[in-house]
Amino acid sequence: MARFNLRDKGAEIWEGWNRPKRVAFAVFAIAVATVLPYANKFTLTSFLQTPITSFQAVLVYPVGMFILMALGLNIVVGKSGLLDLGYVAFFAIGAYTEAVIGSHTHLNTWEIMPIGMGFSMLAGVLLGLPALRLRGDYLAIITLGFGEIVRILAINTPSIGGPNGVANIPNPPNFFGIQFDLLHQDHFFWIVIVLILLVVWMVRRLTVRRPGRAWEAIRQDEDVAILMGVPILRYKIWSFSIGAAVGGAAGVIFASQQLFIAPQSFDYNVSVLILSCVVFGGIGNIWGVILGASILSYLPERIRFISNAREFVFGVVLVLTMNLRSDGLLPRKKREHLSESEKQALKETRAALKAEKKAARTGA
Amino acid sequence: MNFSVLISQFFPLLINGLALGFIYVLVSVGYTMVYGVLRLINFANSEIFMLGTFATYLVSTRIFKFDQNSHPAHGGKLFLIIICCLVASMLTSGVVAMFVELIAYRRLRTKGASRLGSLISAIGTSIALSEGVRILTHSIPVRAPRVLNKFNVFEIHGVGLRIDQLLTILAGLIFFFAVDRFVNKTRLGAAIRAVSMSEENSRLMGINLNRVITLTFLIGGLVTGAAAFMYDTTYEQTAYYAGFNIGIAAFTAAVLGGIGNLRGAFYGGMALGLAEQFFSAAFGAQWKEIIVFLVLVLILLLRPNGLFGEAVQQTRV
Amino acid sequence: MNKTTKKLLGVVAVATLAIGAFVATNAQAAATQVTLAFQSPLTGGEAGLGQDELLGVKTALYEYNQTNPKIKVNLVTGDDQATASIASGVALGFAQNSAVIGVIGSCCSGATQASFGAYKAGHLTIISPSATRADLTSPKASTNGFPFFHRVAATDAVQGPALARYSTKDVSSPKVYLIDDATPYGAGLKPLTTPTLKTLGASIVGQDTVPQHTIDYSSTASKVVASGANVVIYFGYYEDAAKLKVALDLAKYKGVYASGDGTDDLGYITDAGTADAEGTRITSQSVPFELTAPAAVQKDFTAATGLKSAAGHAYVTQAYNATNAYLQCIKGGATTRPAIQSCIASGTFTDVAGNKFNFTRYGDIAQGAPVGAYLVKNGDIIPVGNA
Repeated sequence: MARFNLRDKGAEIWEGWNRPKRVAFAVFAIAVATVLPYANKFTLTSFLQTPITSFQAVLVYPVGMFILMALGLNIVVGKSGLLDLGYVAFFAIGAYTEAVIGSHTHLNTWEIMPIGMGFSMLAGVLLGLPALRLRGDYLAIITLGFGEIVRILAINTPSIGGPNGVANIPNPPNFFGIQFDLLHQDHFFWIVIVLILLVVWMVRRLTVRRPGRAWEAIRQDEDVAILMGVPILRYKIWSFSIGAAVGGAAGVIFASQQLFIAPQSFDYNVSVLILSCVVFGGIGNIWGVILGASILSYLPERIRFISNAREFVFGVVLVLTMNLRSDGLLPRKKREHLSESEKQALKETRAALKAEKKAARTGA
Repeated sequence: MNFSVLISQFFPLLINGLALGFIYVLVSVGYTMVYGVLRLINFANSEIFMLGTFATYLVSTRIFKFDQNSHPAHGGKLFLIIICCLVASMLTSGVVAMFVELIAYRRLRTKGASRLGSLISAIGTSIALSEGVRILTHSIPVRAPRVLNKFNVFEIHGVGLRIDQLLTILAGLIFFFAVDRFVNKTRLGAAIRAVSMSEENSRLMGINLNRVITLTFLIGGLVTGAAAFMYDTTYEQTAYYAGFNIGIAAFTAAVLGGIGNLRGAFYGGMALGLAEQFFSAAFGAQWKEIIVFLVLVLILLLRPNGLFGEAVQQTRV
Repeated sequence: MNKTTKKLLGVVAVATLAIGAFVATNAQAAATQVTLAFQSPLTGGEAGLGQDELLGVKTALYEYNQTNPKIKVNLVTGDDQATASIASGVALGFAQNSAVIGVIGSCCSGATQASFGAYKAGHLTIISPSATRADLTSPKASTNGFPFFHRVAATDAVQGPALARYSTKDVSSPKVYLIDDATPYGAGLKPLTTPTLKTLGASIVGQDTVPQHTIDYSSTASKVVASGANVVIYFGYYEDAAKLKVALDLAKYKGVYASGDGTDDLGYITDAGTADAEGTRITSQSVPFELTAPAAVQKDFTAATGLKSAAGHAYVTQAYNATNAYLQCIKGGATTRPAIQSCIASGTFTDVAGNKFNFTRYGDIAQGAPVGAYLVKNGDIIPVGNA
């Protein structure tokens, strides 16, 4: 690693710290995030102010929501290497759960949250059971189709508002005196931060435990994973439904913050944008994903003054960045620190496995 | 649900389905060619198609001065216009495809980046191209003027085969078999097949990888451009978002038939074109995509490599 | 502001000591200068409508500023892309921008609905030139925009029956086929025509929903022909109306083709071609600016926008009237949000043709906005009276 790598540099510094230093840094980072909604009012940071749109609202949606969803999608795409082009479906399911249950019953947002996550997970399992048996690009088209289907079903189902969507979704109730309504977008942002921290914590825990290792094995080589006795379908479905639950949670908060949702907010472009966030930032690395999502969701709002060309600029930025930094802004740590003999052994195992498969096929 | 319409309108639905199917076939060839050599879905193919539709529009309105009031052309002039538009669309799409390869794929490929990196740069190219056209056209869809008088070539019991549909079907067949022969019978085609089987081996055999990949994009683009011309002739309207629906449908068709397999693209496109027509007549157009999706899931469950595909690892292009 | 400041100071004290100088002062809008906001899609698929309405707004402001008024009026534009999730952010931005005292927009009902929360909380008045969905001003609907929302176009509850009457006019034993485009506008207008169609004695022989931006309308055309319909009503926007019309003509459909205000655009004729568009019946709440505005105002239109005529641009009149309502209030000395709100709610205004109008309690025009009937003839959309 002759080349300077921000990710490795950061990890190096982090590893050099003792526990109190780490805690202090984490507290500082969280504190900075907490006061971020007021950044536009400080002279020093006022350049962050978004023209036209409300800065605090932008921080919640798209910025916060996209970070959350990108982290969820990262479990699927980054950790276990499954290409999901319809992630918006889980976001939509969460949002519709909150919208429909919230406006028809007395359940509040916090009570609906587990229901919304449950529905999203269920959808993840139902989609995953057939889809995850397929490989790579077949999975991509099935998930893409699923994302569109959820939207089309919402448009064509009059009982959940049809194309008009659902209005008058209740705000979350007060939480220890913290108010949640339209004029307190900062409070919504705090909820999003809490959710993001929870997801980061969960992902970090899972990564060093059995599921994380299984996902890593599946991502690197499915055949080897099977050989090593990893029940790949089960772990794939786990990764799919955990990712779905995160999307569902984001959807629940989104609906209760927006007060009004319509099917058009959940189209294919959102899925593509979330995937772009993941890859742009650095697939598989949570800090990269957070950075990527922040930039890609904030940028179009910040450049509203070139309103007509902002999506064009967005596309150009994607192409340029991927060309210059093909693994994303903060790429994941390379785990393949194998010695030459280990590499040779891995190659031989693969060849043997392929030959075995071929023999089995010709034999049958 | 309305099944009587399937019987009373069987032939119009069949013919429309075939015409739509051939457009899907040619666009899926664009996806499948690229997938064959790079194992990558070319997400910018929809924009390659969209720019092709604008080429036909520009040639017919700017060079031949057709507008909304013009009468269709006849005889030699008609032939000249059709050839010019077709060539313009094919060249535009072909050149754009090579351009896409150059800016979205080449650098990433030579650096040995992950597949997802190229995917995102292709998506970025696609966004930039469609937004660029949107800005140039002021977000307004344009009409590709009716150059061809749409008379029925023959008619039995009020059921007719229109000239544009006949042309689409014939041209679709010709272009498809031309590509098929090129890939399977020529030296360059053999190079493409070699690269799709193994990049490393073909490089060892002295194949210029960059040239072959550019060639693959060019051929995919030319065929997609032909489809764009037929689209303009049949549906007479295009817009900056025209590539999106066609792109998703053609991608689905390619997967349905077995992606990476040329003949699979043919069967997949045909099947999808016909299925869309009959499903939307029977169940209503708003349910069309859902039914197509369910059929796709079902087929992939029964045949994990697509309808006519062989094992993905075994055969490409 | 004060509350936020306190909380902010608390958080700052706990978290970080000094990030930067905190500026608590928020420039209050000087009384000699106020801002009106225009919210509509300026990019994206619906951009045409927003750009058209912007012409009317610009004309009204141009005329106002020509009179050298004491209170200068600025304009900010917010592109909501006619998408709910974007519109809510734009609306909140305007609600929090203390310089803005009134909003013109949005073009489309879904985006308008999504903005209600922000405008209600910000006590900001909004006048839409063309959001026509009925429930926005319905006293019974929980989704209405009382008391801050107003509109200067007739609602679809008026247009629906008018479209039903006009489409079946002079058709003996009408057999009607209804097709909508699965957008809030199209799907909302369709059921509002059916009661009138039934009382007129028309039979509905088929209904269909074809999502906007569908490529191939030939299977729908086949169904229409198979049903034996002699009246087809399309509920949607002009691009798809044109595609459907071409497909119907190719399928040898000979009956009446009618559509609502979404099709009231010269783009319809360009897209369908003069021959295919001929004879299409269109109802619209949009009053053609080039026909109703006095010559002096037409001249101002040219000076303000650089366009020769407003022909082909929809809802210019409505946008002009909406902007003028605000300007009349501002001239009368209303420069704060509450003053504007009470002025708009209780005032009487003059529209471009010189007629007086005022708003009902729920925000519709009390005098009733007209629905015009139009016919496509020789490549033009010709008004043929009220529908």
